[in-house]
Amino acid sequence: MTRIRRPSAQTTAVVLALAEQPTAWRYGYELCQQLGLKPGSLYPILVRLADRGLLETTWDTAVPAGRPPRHLYRLTGPGRALATELAAAPATGTAIRRPGPKGSPKERWQGA
Amino acid sequence: MRWTRRRLQTVTTWAIVAAWVVFYAIVLATADPLPTLDTAVMYLIVPPLLWVVAARLVLRHWWSEAGARMSAMDLPGRLLAAAVAALPERRREWGRAMTAELAEVGGRPARWRFALSSVWATLWLPPAGGWPVLALVAAVAVAATTAAGPVVGAAVPGLRVFAACFTGLAGAMVVLAVARSGRPRLPVPAPAVLVTGGVAASIAVTVIFLRREPAAAEYLPPPAAVYLAAVLAGCLGVAVASPRWLGANRLAPHLAAAAAVVFAAWFLLVIRIDGTQIPPPLVLALALVLPLTPVAVFFAPAFAAGRAGRSFRSGLQAAVWTVTAIMPLTYAIWLPESLRRHAIDGKTLEGELVAPVGTNLASALVVCLGILPVLGLTLAVIGASLGARRSHRAVPHDPS
Repeated sequence: MTRIRRPSAQTTAVVLALAEQPTAWRYGYELCQQLGLKPGSLYPILVRLADRGLLETTWDTAVPAGRPPRHLYRLTGPGRALATELAAAPATGTAIRRPGPKGSPKERWQGA
Repeated sequence: MRWTRRRLQTVTTWAIVAAWVVFYAIVLATADPLPTLDTAVMYLIVPPLLWVVAARLVLRHWWSEAGARMSAMDLPGRLLAAAVAALPERRREWGRAMTAELAEVGGRPARWRFALSSVWATLWLPPAGGWPVLALVAAVAVAATTAAGPVVGAAVPGLRVFAACFTGLAGAMVVLAVARSGRPRLPVPAPAVLVTGGVAASIAVTVIFLRREPAAAEYLPPPAAVYLAAVLAGCLGVAVASPRWLGANRLAPHLAAAAAVVFAAWFLLVIRIDGTQIPPPLVLALALVLPLTPVAVFFAPAFAAGRAGRSFRSGLQAAVWTVTAIMPLTYAIWLPESLRRHAIDGKTLEGELVAPVGTNLASALVVCLGILPVLGLTLAVIGASLGARRSHRAVPHDPS
């Protein structure tokens, strides 16, 4: 039995929002508007997700002239697996207990 | 108001002139005796003239690199750009991401909200070693700072404030370094060792000075102790955790270190030959070398680095490193030499008055950590600009 800390409500919301269209690339500002999050909350979450290999990023260069390229985000395979688990797990308390193999998406999240 | 280069230079010029006139008026009002008219006019005109030239050169080069782009932004954009520029390299991508998203946000209030929140985000991006490591390092730094004042103060009462401030600042730099970078780096070891050695020597000679002359502590009041700690910690920071733009060029710090060693030797020579009989053949040589050395020491590395790197920035790197290396070295020479001199004839190192030995501590602070860096940096900036300018002309003829 491994004790796994459940991601924060905001992180969970971000992961689930990205999982709505798992193959689509999303903009940061778009996620802010969708979730009602400020960039000061969203970007640290995105950074942590990317640091743990749960989020992949790329640059959108097809922007109007004079505008800088925009950063795009979508979940990786482990990120999608985490989204599936978060969607299935009841959001009660800050910690959940579950058996799981080492290196599962939730263990990757540990400590974030 | 839209800022242009010319407007920025004009405002800077008047700000420098006004600040100096006010400062110099206060100096004259409290001076006893008053300087002669010639001297007063010279000090009124020459320093601000040099500073204005240096400041306008810096602004001109800054404008050509980033200023023009910054002036095209609104205030939220500038604020975020400044915050992003302070991010460590491995997090720059995220800074650029936030900047790009700000370009999509319309409406002044919404742009302000987005920019301020993004600036907040830049402060809280996950640190390199993770939050637990950072918290541990921060706790050690706080504990060391808390303990340093009483511990050092028990041994050397006059250094209580200095010890607490220096430890606190050094600890803050360590915390910042741990947060920004996953591993320590020392891009230019030899100059870093020179500066670190100078800082260590400065602290050591201050301890020795105050142990031998405890009454001198009155010449190191808390504001002066804080200033000494800030300067020495800053030098240490440049040496071992230099910002990215200072450590990118390897030539500049090495030129600066060589110049600092020359300056330290010159400084020692000037002190030692004061009042001694010099053989006539040497008088002419010294008459040429002694006045020119300090000018050359600050000017030449910046000029050479600017020319070699074909950029003002390279010259500016040499300028900052030169000042950083020279400050602790000269301070570390001043205090022991002043003790020696005072033991001989009771005069200060400046040789003009019979005074308590402790006045040398205040003089060392003012001269080595105040006047020298201000004048030296001014000369060096002018050298950097001339070096960069000359290299621009050389480029079209460069066969490579």
